[in-house]
Amino acid sequence: MIGNDVIDLDLASRQSNWKRPRFLDKLFTGFEKELILSSADPEKKVWDLWSRKEAAYKIVNRETGERLFNPTAFECLDDGANGKIKYQSQILSTKTFYNTSRIHTVCSEGEKLLEKIGYCSRIQISKPDGFPVFVQNEDTFPASVSHHGRFISCVYLNR
Amino acid sequence: MTQTEIIDTLKSIVKPYVQNQQAFETLDEKTDFVKDLQINSANLVDIALDTEDAFGIEIDNESMQRMLTVEAALSIIEEKRAQK
Repeated sequence: MIGNDVIDLDLASRQSNWKRPRFLDKLFTGFEKELILSSADPEKKVWDLWSRKEAAYKIVNRETGERLFNPTAFECLDDGANGKIKYQSQILSTKTFYNTSRIHTVCSEGEKLLEKIGYCSRIQISKPDGFPVFVQNEDTFPASVSHHGRFISCVYLNR
Repeated sequence: MTQTEIIDTLKSIVKPYVQNQQAFETLDEKTDFVKDLQINSANLVDIALDTEDAFGIEIDNESMQRMLTVEAALSIIEEKRAQK
């Protein structure tokens, strides 16, 4: 399965005040808060870890069919651009891309699957059962769409 | 606090984060914060924090994870107020 999440950093800094009391406590675990607060750029780290959680949530939501706002149930296990994230007994792999204006994370069940991720455009995506799929030559692949501010990102999982 | 006052307070909490004003104008118990009001998921935590402050309650993670609709928010507020 696949999940992805893009964050427009300018918009995020206008939409959220990560320094407000208890904000970090509700979104992040103790370990994640340490990563954020020891970072050279804590705000960027907030959105970095948040994009991983959102990408992983999309996979779990699709698998369980359950909608929950449970960010601390997802824990980033490491800090690098190829990070693992844990949800209950499941460990997912993420890959995060950075530039000065956006952060983008793709997530799947393992590193091998991450190599099979392809990019497509939004018009190639449909949602026959409520979840996005990429259709090509009458074949369908699971896909994920993320939109925030100036950015949209559509990815799919190749075989 | 009457039920109407609770709903009015909740509406004023949600308002700054709403991205679909039309859906906000017709808000009712079934309104979904994300699907209908198009609230950014990171702002759901602001709604939880503002709700805690406005009602003097604490919303634990188990309650917060259900807080995706007006109806769920109202039931959490009532439940936590009753426990005070």
